[in-house]
Amino acid sequence: MPDWLKYVREHLSLPKCPLAREEEIIEEIAQQLDDVCLESLHSGLSEQEAFLVAEQHISDWAALANDLMHSGFGQSRKPIVSGSPEEAPGLSVPTHRLAPSQMQRTGTGRRNLKTRFAHALGAISQDLRYASRIFAKKPLFGVIAIVTLAVGIGANTAIFSVIDSVLLRPLPYPEGNRLTVIWSTLGKEGRCPGSGPQLLSLRERSKLFDQFAGIWVQSGALTGRGEPEQVKRGWVTANFLSLLSNRPEAGRLFVSQDEGEGRAPVVVISHELWQRHFGADPNLVGRSILLNDRPSAVVGILPPGFRVLFPEGASVPANIDVYSPFNMELARLPRDRGFLRIVGRLRDGVAIPQAQAELDTIAGQLRAGFPEYSEEDLRLQTVSLQGDVTRNARSYLVSLFAGTGFVLMIVCANMAMLFLSRANERRNEMSVRAALGAEPGRLVRQLLTESVFLSVLGGIAALGVTWGILNALRALEPAGIAQTTSVSLNLTVLTFNIAISVACGLLVGLSPALEARAMNPNAILRESSKTTTEGRHVMRQLLIGGEVALTFVLLTCSLLLIRTFAGLLHVEPGFRSGNVLTFRVSLPGVRYTTPQAANQFFQELQRRLSALPGVQSVGVVSHLPFDDSLPNWYSYFWREGAPKDRQNTLMADHRAAYPGFFDSMGITFIAGRNFDTSDEAGHRKVVIIDDSLATQLWPHENAIGKQLNVENGDFVRDVAEVVGVVKHVQYHSLTDQVRPQLYLPYGIATRANMSVTILANSSRELLVPLIRGQVREMDKDLPLSDMRPMDDYVSDARLSARFITLLCGSLGAIALLLSCIGIYGVAFGSVTSRRKEIGVRMALGARQHNIAAMVLRRSLTPVILGGVAGLVMSMAVTPLLSSLFFGVHPIDPLVLVSVLLFLCFVGLLASSLPMHRVLRGNPIGALRCE
Amino acid sequence: MFNSELKKGSAELLVLSLLEARPRHGYEIGKLIEQKSEKRIQFRIGSLYPILCRLEHRGLIAGRWVERAGERRRRFYRLTAEGRRALAAQRSAWQEFVSTINQLVSSEYA
Repeated sequence: MPDWLKYVREHLSLPKCPLAREEEIIEEIAQQLDDVCLESLHSGLSEQEAFLVAEQHISDWAALANDLMHSGFGQSRKPIVSGSPEEAPGLSVPTHRLAPSQMQRTGTGRRNLKTRFAHALGAISQDLRYASRIFAKKPLFGVIAIVTLAVGIGANTAIFSVIDSVLLRPLPYPEGNRLTVIWSTLGKEGRCPGSGPQLLSLRERSKLFDQFAGIWVQSGALTGRGEPEQVKRGWVTANFLSLLSNRPEAGRLFVSQDEGEGRAPVVVISHELWQRHFGADPNLVGRSILLNDRPSAVVGILPPGFRVLFPEGASVPANIDVYSPFNMELARLPRDRGFLRIVGRLRDGVAIPQAQAELDTIAGQLRAGFPEYSEEDLRLQTVSLQGDVTRNARSYLVSLFAGTGFVLMIVCANMAMLFLSRANERRNEMSVRAALGAEPGRLVRQLLTESVFLSVLGGIAALGVTWGILNALRALEPAGIAQTTSVSLNLTVLTFNIAISVACGLLVGLSPALEARAMNPNAILRESSKTTTEGRHVMRQLLIGGEVALTFVLLTCSLLLIRTFAGLLHVEPGFRSGNVLTFRVSLPGVRYTTPQAANQFFQELQRRLSALPGVQSVGVVSHLPFDDSLPNWYSYFWREGAPKDRQNTLMADHRAAYPGFFDSMGITFIAGRNFDTSDEAGHRKVVIIDDSLATQLWPHENAIGKQLNVENGDFVRDVAEVVGVVKHVQYHSLTDQVRPQLYLPYGIATRANMSVTILANSSRELLVPLIRGQVREMDKDLPLSDMRPMDDYVSDARLSARFITLLCGSLGAIALLLSCIGIYGVAFGSVTSRRKEIGVRMALGARQHNIAAMVLRRSLTPVILGGVAGLVMSMAVTPLLSSLFFGVHPIDPLVLVSVLLFLCFVGLLASSLPMHRVLRGNPIGALRCE
Repeated sequence: MFNSELKKGSAELLVLSLLEARPRHGYEIGKLIEQKSEKRIQFRIGSLYPILCRLEHRGLIAGRWVERAGERRRRFYRLTAEGRRALAAQRSAWQEFVSTINQLVSSEYA
């Protein structure tokens, strides 16, 4: 049996009929044809014959359409009262199945709304069917459109999903949006940790915070069970963990009785350590483990994936293995010994500015009440924990989002041009529909439905692109993203995807739709199908100009970032990382009770390691460059004898170092000498400073032999003689010079956690087992950790720059490719639409170069204008991104001019292909073409 | 078979009178005309359907979709109050017309 519905739909066109009614008419006629056909079959006719009989019932479809139009499509002029007395008995009419037109007649207000909705649905479904038929006819067009849109929408969805998970979603802590970090500002030095008494004062005086907690991370050694393992140990106030976690996976979190001097040592361990070191032992809680050779009872295990999210540079790593409550009385610590990273939880409804005002008052009271605070010029600053954690990621994520937005706009411009040229092909169809009575609004809706339909398909395909991009992003592990919650495709992201798909569809369909609205069907039917209106040409030139401008901005940013990254590759960090292997050792205080014992251990270790094959030099230092996993030590220094008011003004990172550190890392001595054996033992109070410290204190003098007031390893002020000046080392970032450095011999600045640096020309595989062997011989319970080349730390320092350069570069390349396609399309369109004119000109003797100049003028004008607009836009945009650049000026004339020339060259290339086609062609052919 | 002009002139009356007794669907109306006229009057769907639409548009009949279990829905037409009045008027006019014509025709041959 034939599908009569389809048959009637294909034959009957009722442009002026409301859609829902048109559907009814089609259904009713189809049913009647079906009845005829069935009856003929029953009477013994073959299927073919039955079809012919039915078909003969309507021989002139146009006449039928005309008759139906004159009959008002059967829609009554007057409303018919429902429930009229003539209602036939036995005809039950379920109202929920009423046809839309019927409901309109019987309807109340609510029904009217329903009717309109049903009407709109019917209309949309008809438009969608039509759109899918149109695209099925020209699949290539559809595929190109979907793929292009998928790239644009996919890139945007991917970056949005990162932004959603990093910036928009609250941190994974209870009341995460009320958590803030409290930094101390000491003089000019911001973002400093706070002291124990400071934390207690905050607890006493604040009314707007309901809790304050603190953490300090150290390295610890886990021994006694299996291989010794060096772990990250967080010393915390008793309330710290309960502030960040609802409940442990097993056991309990700390209670206030756990904290303080003389309490039985207890620990809470991470789920990961429980799995890794203790083989997920179900009976671990309540048992004792050996941490730094002291037994500590495990009271709880944290849930899987629990991480302490602190801002970069806070020296609080996310993956802490063991937490211990402070085993000292915070109140009895010196007021000026800042080491605590403090988190606070605001009371419900308190805003950050209010809290800041309160902290300002408290800081004022502290300065007035205690000389230590006034000497330091202590001020307090509070920022939301989430804002602080993502503060570095924010600027580049927002910039990337803008970049993908630009790419999407270019995609839309290209699509709009594609739709415009297709609209040109379909002008006859549109004008016939308009002539048959289709209202302009109806045509606009049809065109918009088509573009939105394609765009939504593009959006669906974009999910694949998003998935790919997210995987690539994860592989790149950009800082500030890797440490936050995992990025995923969730409901918010999907909603965003749908929203931008629909928005793109509307944007893309807008120009053809506007054109359809303003269309004069008579004029179009009379004119040749291949002519192009001037208006459309202007629209295309505008689109191309816009594309080129956006591409210009993206390329400029990409080039500046590439130059930044190239600069970072050549930046002089103040040391040589090649062939340097590093590892960390932490000496348990129980076994290495005196500084002499620790010093002896490190001297012996250096002696043994120096004897290994290929090893050129061995050093030990308390802190490696670019290593943010343990707290950074820094404090005030001043020229001995400086007046009181000049004492607490300058801060330096201070390091305990053995002489081999400077040799193995290739740190240059500018003046003076290295430490010697007698310095190592701590017999003489000496210090090596860097050149930036030397110029700050003794700008035009020789620093050697000068006396410097420094803090030694025991937080005691001491005077040391400057014996050497070395080049400044970039400890925290490749780009920023944070603080000057001073180095003290281990003998006067003993530390538990030290890193060993080994310069060797033998392979790592050969060296590592030998190193482990030597350490085991010296102390079998001493764990080594973070065995990695120094090069790794340096390349980590370049990670975020590499990440954004790569992404921005890809965006620039995509933009360039899309613009090329756009320019080519416009040049091609301009040439083909004027083939006849060109033919006439050539036949009349126009020279080839005249024609070429004409074509080029037309296609290059928007490129040049767009380039100039892009130049202006870039000059406005790039200064906003200056935090991402290093070593280049945001407005770099060389970059701007090269981008402009490059885009003109690309424009020339893209338009020369169609031009050659025309010039090679035969003018007669062009004349004949319709 | 009668010529199409005659059919056209009488079609509305035929439809209205067939709907007088009870509501019917479009195909049924065409079929009834065919049966009752012993195939002397037949309407194709292409001609009958616009008539139904026209009558509905003028408010003489009203169509409504009716669904019955196991069957696809069909559009049934019933006579409206106005349709009843129109039917009465057209019927008497037709009878008057026919009798006049008869009179005239018979007098021609008389």
